[in-house]
Amino acid sequence: MRDVYAVGIGITSFTRLDYPLVEIAAYPGLMAMRESGLEKIDHLYVANMGASRINHQTGLASAVIDNLSLTPAGAEAIENGPASGASAIKQGYMAVASGLHNIVMVIGAERMREVNNLEATDYVATLTHPMAEYIYGVTLPALAGMFTRLYMLKYGVTARHLAMVAVKNHRNAMNNFFAHLHEEVTLEGILDSPEALTNNPIVADPLRFYDCCPVSDGGACVILATGDIAKKAGKPMVRLAGIGQATDTHAVHDRKEPTDLLAVREAARQSFKMAGIEPGDVDVAELHDAFTILEIAESEEVGFFPRGQGHLALEKGETSLGGILPINTSGGLKARGHPVGATGVAQAHEIIVQLRGQAEKRQVKDARIGFTCNFGGFGNNVVCLTFVKEG
Amino acid sequence: MEMSIYGYKCIKCGHVQYPYRTICKNCHKNNHNEFEIVPLPKKGKLLTFTHLYAPPSDYEVVSLGLGIVELEDGNRITGQLKIDQPQIGMSVAGRVEVVRRDEYNKYWGIVFYPA
Repeated sequence: MRDVYAVGIGITSFTRLDYPLVEIAAYPGLMAMRESGLEKIDHLYVANMGASRINHQTGLASAVIDNLSLTPAGAEAIENGPASGASAIKQGYMAVASGLHNIVMVIGAERMREVNNLEATDYVATLTHPMAEYIYGVTLPALAGMFTRLYMLKYGVTARHLAMVAVKNHRNAMNNFFAHLHEEVTLEGILDSPEALTNNPIVADPLRFYDCCPVSDGGACVILATGDIAKKAGKPMVRLAGIGQATDTHAVHDRKEPTDLLAVREAARQSFKMAGIEPGDVDVAELHDAFTILEIAESEEVGFFPRGQGHLALEKGETSLGGILPINTSGGLKARGHPVGATGVAQAHEIIVQLRGQAEKRQVKDARIGFTCNFGGFGNNVVCLTFVKEG
Repeated sequence: MEMSIYGYKCIKCGHVQYPYRTICKNCHKNNHNEFEIVPLPKKGKLLTFTHLYAPPSDYEVVSLGLGIVELEDGNRITGQLKIDQPQIGMSVAGRVEVVRRDEYNKYWGIVFYPA
């Protein structure tokens, strides 16, 4: 197997974008080509979840490759729920590592705000078990609410800890030009003041509005290539060193311990093992905080903190910028936004920016090892990536 | 007629699974459809719950009570709750009712009340 490097990156603003999905996908691809100096690619993977349902478009990868005038290179779309992005990066890795292709472009793109919030939430809810969950009105916020209630009871996590995740990630997003929510929030505003219940109403108790990610449009791109091509591109050498993926039961009620996220645990273990590192070696991480509780739970499951202590690390500021392990420097799904199919690629984008030392005000000092956790369904399909800076 | 939610009892190992899977999760030994269909118990204990204040557009309610219940046989099931002040660990009893309607269809499922 050959080593695989990230040679070019690009991203759109994550917000409401009033241009077609194909262009949301093409724009970060164009940026990545300009940045890396590459004018041709061998293959394109497009991660997307909802084009056929929300945007009334199928065959997205064929449309994007033509829009970029990169025909006749091969192209296909990858749909793996909210983990589509990291899944597409995995496909790109396999293509380059195996020797099938030398340069692979991976784009994640989603345009969710073409429909209203109710429709967008319903389309994400189609991830749930059709007969055992969906028919009851179960949505992802509902599953997260039930998970949070148990987690709080078991480990002593409070509404204040959840709000602290939101405050931290909103603050990080203030320094990310591409983030969806450029809006600093305070514990007073979303938790303590008399207006807090108006500012921050309950969505699925105990989860409130600021515990949930926004519905976003956006696209991101990473070009993967061999070491020789990466050297010519002239950017700092960032190697995709570890990939792990694991699944769990479709219906959440079927899990023996409902507060365990076994797929996160296993995917992270595989990713670290392949990269030959320990969780403690990681300098910066992007975790899948679609709900604030998930940042805390994942930080334990991947092995950064002991079980039940993620919220204590958060409280001490260990996961803030300047702490021992900054998490979600981009703002995370919470504040950078969550265009479902694009998220996994956007997480990788942030880690590459950090390892290259290009993150400006949100730069983690001397970051050499970065990690992403891209969480599909309610933890039933998880892909974790480990990136290492060389030289 | 009293309606039930059904589990799938593996004819090789006797394990009851819900929802349906083609292969038994316990023994992995059975072939397609080698299950006996058995009614699941309706009584159990509430494991966790939420009130969803952003219910899907098929529902004309302010909030939707949802929970996971551990049934008397140890199986777990997700269902709707019609309980004023649910508590984790409380005893509940289920009834099969219409749990969702859209333009064309009615969907039947389990709704839990205080036991």
